[in-house]
Amino acid sequence: MYNEVYKNSKVRKFYNQIYDWAKSLPENVIVKKKNEAENLFKKIGITFSVYNNFDSTERLIPFDMFPRIISSTEWKKIKKGVIQRALAVNAFLNDIYNSGEIVKAKLIPENLIYKNPAYEIKMIGFKVPKRIYSPIIGSDIVRINEKTFKVLEDNCRTPSGVSYMIENREIMMRMFPELFEKLKIETVENYPNYLLDVLKSLAPKKCNKEPKVVILTPGSLNSAYYEHSFLADLMGVELVQGNDLFVDESVTYMKTTRGPEKVDIIYRRIDDKFIDPITFDSSSLIGIPGLFDSYKSGNVNICSAPGSGIADDKAIYSYIPEIIKFYLGEEPILENVKTWRCCEEDAKKYVLNNLSKLVVKEVHGSGGYGLLIGSKSSKKEIEIFRKKILLNPANYIAQPILELSSVPIFDKKKLSPRHVDLRPFCLVGANKTKLVDGGLTRVALNQGSLVVNSSQGGGVKDTWVLNE
Amino acid sequence: MLSRTAENLFWSARYIERADSLARLLEVGYRISLIPNTERGYTNEWESILETSGIKSEYFKKYKTISKENIIFFLLFDTENSSSVKNCIKTARENIRMVRTAVTLEVWNAINSSYHELDKNLKDTKNILKELPEIIEWIKKQVNLIRGTILNTQLINDGYDFLILGTYFERADFTARIINVKYFILLPSINYVGGDIDNFQWSLMLRSISSFRAFKWAYGEQEITYTKIIDFLILNMTCPRSLIFSIEKINHHLGRLSKFYKQTSTSNKKMTLMYKKIKNLNAHKITDIGLHEFLKSFIEEINFVYKKFEQKYFFGSET
Amino acid sequence: MKVKITHSTTYQYNSTVPRLIQCLKLYPSVCDNQEIIEWKTFSNNGKILESHTDALGHRIQNIFINNFNGQLKITSRGILKTKDLSGVVKGLKEKVNPLCFLRETDLTRPCKNIEKISKNSKKNNKSQIEFAHKLNLIVSNSINYTSGSTTTSTSSKEALKQKKGVCQDFAHILISAARFNQLPARYVNGFLLEETGSGVNTTHAWVEIFINNLGWVAFDPSHKKCIDDKYIRISTGFDFKDASIIKGVKNNYNGDEFLETKVNIETCQ
Repeated sequence: MYNEVYKNSKVRKFYNQIYDWAKSLPENVIVKKKNEAENLFKKIGITFSVYNNFDSTERLIPFDMFPRIISSTEWKKIKKGVIQRALAVNAFLNDIYNSGEIVKAKLIPENLIYKNPAYEIKMIGFKVPKRIYSPIIGSDIVRINEKTFKVLEDNCRTPSGVSYMIENREIMMRMFPELFEKLKIETVENYPNYLLDVLKSLAPKKCNKEPKVVILTPGSLNSAYYEHSFLADLMGVELVQGNDLFVDESVTYMKTTRGPEKVDIIYRRIDDKFIDPITFDSSSLIGIPGLFDSYKSGNVNICSAPGSGIADDKAIYSYIPEIIKFYLGEEPILENVKTWRCCEEDAKKYVLNNLSKLVVKEVHGSGGYGLLIGSKSSKKEIEIFRKKILLNPANYIAQPILELSSVPIFDKKKLSPRHVDLRPFCLVGANKTKLVDGGLTRVALNQGSLVVNSSQGGGVKDTWVLNE
Repeated sequence: MLSRTAENLFWSARYIERADSLARLLEVGYRISLIPNTERGYTNEWESILETSGIKSEYFKKYKTISKENIIFFLLFDTENSSSVKNCIKTARENIRMVRTAVTLEVWNAINSSYHELDKNLKDTKNILKELPEIIEWIKKQVNLIRGTILNTQLINDGYDFLILGTYFERADFTARIINVKYFILLPSINYVGGDIDNFQWSLMLRSISSFRAFKWAYGEQEITYTKIIDFLILNMTCPRSLIFSIEKINHHLGRLSKFYKQTSTSNKKMTLMYKKIKNLNAHKITDIGLHEFLKSFIEEINFVYKKFEQKYFFGSET
Repeated sequence: MKVKITHSTTYQYNSTVPRLIQCLKLYPSVCDNQEIIEWKTFSNNGKILESHTDALGHRIQNIFINNFNGQLKITSRGILKTKDLSGVVKGLKEKVNPLCFLRETDLTRPCKNIEKISKNSKKNNKSQIEFAHKLNLIVSNSINYTSGSTTTSTSSKEALKQKKGVCQDFAHILISAARFNQLPARYVNGFLLEETGSGVNTTHAWVEIFINNLGWVAFDPSHKKCIDDKYIRISTGFDFKDASIIKGVKNNYNGDEFLETKVNIETCQ
């Protein structure tokens, strides 16, 4: 396991100052600061609701004060790699919804795309504004050793967590201003401006003035509602729900106290199937009837584009290196994790024979659900998954169990290592890509645990990219 | 401003006001319970508390009989009662949470901390009567804190108007209801003035809008007469809980909205008429019309204004 | 064959609908099997606006009406010249890869009975097309045609279980069975000229199955055959829900909606 702080029981150079600082904190100060941080979070109202929880109680996401540091050389590589993937993913989406060159070139089996319910046939042949399908991509990156960062998945629809990236920094700066004087740390506060800028660059065909951007949320019961309102606030745009918008003669408007106001770009944080009850799930109560028609008539842009979810598919993920080479003619900068696709006979055999050594994932699953970690599961759990795979092999992929790198947390009063991952947020607009220097570090708070999802005992840390 | 934002602000303030009114009603309840249960008993006082709070039928869906413990529980904590103090604060906070950026951090903090302290301060205990004064104090304190931060920190823009409108639509409604439930004690036929029972009844009514002392200030230590009470509750501009006070506020803020948006609205026009009408009334005229009839048409008119207001600003469908 | 068609849908609302949107897929498919001589869709209320042509070739139109109360009647009328191409649908203007129609939907999810049907049809068949014909035949006999026996949300599984259904259910069962055997299949809405003498007809539904080398071939399991020149193709989709020719949404409306559909088809010179 790679320890990001220690090297041969010595503290790495760029962690020196932070480590000394952490060690010097008296126990009572740690406790006090922890409470202070919690109160700050509570006051600001950063909470998240947990799925499968009927009374939808709000919880605070646990925050750990020990920052995770990334050197500028390391960051340069991550940044380049993430941008490369984001561009490739958009080129891929544009291709499969138009001519399908990559399928014709036989680089990806056609079944994997066309049979996939995430491939939205209503999007075929539609010219998405500026050819950008997925303007916000959050790639989950893990570190395996000194040199190797690997990408676990790319979230192309509506990745969440960026509000924590910004708030974690805000809280650290408030509590420990002295640290920011000692170290030169890249800022992350420009993210909302970048996002607005990128969204505005994606105005639809029939918009000939300063585009009006809104964020569309499913509502305050959604687990990421805080983030939706946070972004709307910092971007200075309206946070709307389905009922706030309506379509008349193919134009999308929002209801305001002054009367209807035309909307040009919708950063939607609701799933495809809910956006328009006429075109998609007719039982959707949170969607806007006629929105898809308005979109196709070039009156409004929906970001991300309906049907972008196909690129989130974990079986497609395994082809990202091929996708990068095909569209960009470049070698992938960041590695993929070795992936066995159970739809392939040999791979399936291998997976079934080695279940206790693998992580098995549903191709459409997210949030750490529908997942088997072989080494941490009982025989019974493994057998359940075996049956599931046999029943529907195409629905599963498997990956080796990765030893995620570790960074210490303040466990009670002392430092103790925990596994972490990293999610930077890449923005892709018309002829521009933007990425703030930082990201969200998620940490598995339980000792030895590899699951960093907030819904399953994960916490967050501030992530510092050094400016050297 | 987004229509829903306006609607959330409006309802948030409205629920805060409702929590406030309920606390005052319970204060009256507490007072009754301290008085020895002689002669006729005060069961019907508890019943009118239920009636005034507007949830009598909901209460009887759950309970068969009037019991002060049940009523207190129902009004304060019961999550099944959408208008319990607990739910009022929860709903108010939920409404603000949805439009958090439309209020200042101070307002949000005041509402949010009230919500977070709810469970600690609104606790059902065996001897609820004993705890009641403290609970009521806490509610009133929170309400005043929230309202204070609204008055002191919010920008005086359209959002502010919607907040204030929520408060006064609710207050007008509540005061009208109190008078309506108790109008029989204000009928001229009961001409005994100074009888213990009537005095007690009237004082309860004044207390339920926290105006017992204020009444004395306004009318001196002379005897209480029904005309004075009618004047005080309906027509006195110095009494912040009189109908005319709420009407004047609603009229003012609807007028501000029309100016702000440079659009006329039916609700504003109608409200101006209502205000002019009530300004020209006096207690004797009201008795001539009949108090009950007066209230009936008052409630109808204000409901009409609300309907138009809602259509214009919340639904975008004023026809 | 030259046919004259009138199709009308009438909606009756008993209170005001704040915002009404009707999305129409009422334009006959452009393909070699049918030549559109004239076609027009109009309504007694609201303007019909052209939207776009989707990837399956549907010409989509919309009606938007605010604060609507009363009767909305949408009528399509036109003359087509049809050809019998032995069930093969030729010259479709679409951009969708046939493999997309291998997906399951809620209305067409396979079940034990579907497995049974597939097993029975697999015996001794040499080619895809033979297999498809056999499937069509077995599906035709799997349930009895009983009008009113199912609803718009009945799945193929439920219809098979109760052994009765209408054209929609026959179609769903055939789709489930074809997809279960890796044959792309889809739902088709249209009209069928039936010799009723009066010209009064109903809308009809059938299935298209993709056969390598032939393309889409249309089977009508309710009538145990492939389509001919008596069939007029209007819309297609994954299943009944997806293929529907008119889809409406009423926002913030609590009143009732009454619906009546009328079809009249006559041959002409």
